[in-house]
Amino acid sequence: MAVYKKISKDNLVQFLQELTKDRILIAPVREHDLVSFSPAADAGQVDFTFQNSFVPPKSWFFPQTEQIFSFRIENGKYELSEPSLPGGTVLFGVRPCDLKSILALDPVFDGKFDDNYYSDRRKNTIIIGLGCQSVGRGCFCFKVGGGPLESNGADIFLTPAGGDFLAEGVTDQGTDLINKQSRFFSDSSAEQVDKEKREGTDRLLKQPTGLKGDFNLPKLKAFLDANYEIPYWEELSYRCLGCGICTYLCPTCHCFDINDYARTGLEGERIRCWDSCQFKDFTLMAGGHNPRPSKKERVRNRFMHKFKYHEDRYSIFGCVGCGRCVQKCPVNIDPRKIILDLQEVAGNE
Amino acid sequence: MKGIEEQIRATSSQLLATGDVQMVIGYGAGSDNTKTMPVFIKRAEDVGKLVFNPLCVSNLANYLLQWKNFEGKIAIVVKGCDSRSIIRLLQDKQIEREKIIVLGVSCPGQLKSGQAEAKIPADAVVSEAAVDNSGFKLQTSGGLITFSLDEGLLEKCRQCESSRPVISDHLFGEKGFEADKADLQFNDVAALEGAPLEEKSSYWDKYFERCLRCYACRNSCPACSCRECVFDMVEPDWVAKTVNLSDNSAFHLIRAFHVAGRCTDCGECERVCPADIPLRTLNRKIIKDIKELFGAPMPGSDLEALPALSFYAVNDPESQN
Repeated sequence: MAVYKKISKDNLVQFLQELTKDRILIAPVREHDLVSFSPAADAGQVDFTFQNSFVPPKSWFFPQTEQIFSFRIENGKYELSEPSLPGGTVLFGVRPCDLKSILALDPVFDGKFDDNYYSDRRKNTIIIGLGCQSVGRGCFCFKVGGGPLESNGADIFLTPAGGDFLAEGVTDQGTDLINKQSRFFSDSSAEQVDKEKREGTDRLLKQPTGLKGDFNLPKLKAFLDANYEIPYWEELSYRCLGCGICTYLCPTCHCFDINDYARTGLEGERIRCWDSCQFKDFTLMAGGHNPRPSKKERVRNRFMHKFKYHEDRYSIFGCVGCGRCVQKCPVNIDPRKIILDLQEVAGNE
Repeated sequence: MKGIEEQIRATSSQLLATGDVQMVIGYGAGSDNTKTMPVFIKRAEDVGKLVFNPLCVSNLANYLLQWKNFEGKIAIVVKGCDSRSIIRLLQDKQIEREKIIVLGVSCPGQLKSGQAEAKIPADAVVSEAAVDNSGFKLQTSGGLITFSLDEGLLEKCRQCESSRPVISDHLFGEKGFEADKADLQFNDVAALEGAPLEEKSSYWDKYFERCLRCYACRNSCPACSCRECVFDMVEPDWVAKTVNLSDNSAFHLIRAFHVAGRCTDCGECERVCPADIPLRTLNRKIIKDIKELFGAPMPGSDLEALPALSFYAVNDPESQN
């Protein structure tokens, strides 16, 4: 049962503060000019002016460094202990692109194989989505099937309206929470929310953007399905530095590596850390063989993963158009341009 | 800067057409009007892709390491700051002089990307850019956009020791940016050096804490030429892959010491860092120390001067006792 309400900015902060009584609040917090999803004991710390966070909110469900267990050897016996995972959490301020990215990550960690580190956090977390107030320079959610006011993936979604917010209970859990805390909300309706979203989207999409040209993702995928070896990838890879910026800042990239660290030999820990398919040792095998020996194969893999493999496996594209890689790639490897280039290559075939 | 751009194109076209070089590494227009990107031109008819403007901040010298085994000869576009990397790579015998042609640009100064993004609308077409003492003037489809030097000029340009390349086979641009003498004194480093220990520690902690260990600083660095990097090694795992303040600090400090004497303050590490860690300050501290302790010039500024940390003098004062 959906519910439609309105909430003022002040009440929203108070609502979040109320939620911190029995939950952890993870929200956009600005520290030294970077906005990250961080624990906010005081809802007053929450930043509402951000375009989007530096690191995507995947880091809450899938931290960059995570202890799986620690071990000790005493009197010839192994002792294992597992860290406790966080309890009830509110993840506030997730933008529509990142909401969609969580839907793309769910089937990876919580599908055929259950990764309890991810899925426990996921089950314990209520996600409050926050619609965009402006379109960033690298943003292209609206070109890959999303939109700056799309609520999919949130439990509660907030659409900015003047200085206030229109609130939707998207899931039962979200609706329950709004109903329980109804004193912070005033009435609204499905029609009003719908109207604000439509008009807001129109307004936002009128902002000037740089790259012109429409995307046709199904056609792009059909091209990728049929074409693995094309000279384009090699040329693109010339300028790639092979760093991990695009993958680490990508809200759907999810590769990790597991290492044991035992400095004394008698105690240590098993850790998983993010890994990147752009690193040259990512696919290096024990015998010395590397199936992706050069940057060409590595750059190709990243885009094949976003626009083909992820869709093949989970029926959802691996790119949500958040624009982080567009903005931060030091050598301007821009997926928007790659899509347009490949469409042109496909058209010429 | 149209003049410089035209000269780069004309010379590149000639070099490629005559077979004097087989590839030109230069700047090309990016997907956003506030960005440029490295381009690799192999045919004379493609030289139109080469640009030069105040958004050519990156140092392309690192690509010479990537193309070390390229069979032909390479021409590369460098600004004053980037040219020091060429000298340093030659001194380390990472590249061969006869395999490269240096297209040097006396650089009038480069624009801060944040400022460019704030002022240049995403759909504007930039047709001409000029820089002089009063600042940057960009002629765009949406009208003239200006930046004073105070707001627009990159910090590394303000502290530029030589905007004119220290090595070049072809030199473009008449007059480069001339830094104020006071800005060449490493006062920024001295200010941090003078701070109390706790303050310095927390200054770096707050930045190292947010490092993602994406290794963009290392991968873009022309001084990083090891075939195998200590940070990629698993056995032994000198530095753990865990991302936390302790291991991140180890990463940055080891890297800073490792490039000491080879770092030419080109600023690539700081430019590429997605977490805005002020890495130049760390490297400049070491450059300042080398200057003071060895009386050595900025690394890469003189092809004939042996790098301070790469040779041993028999009359070294420390060897006299």
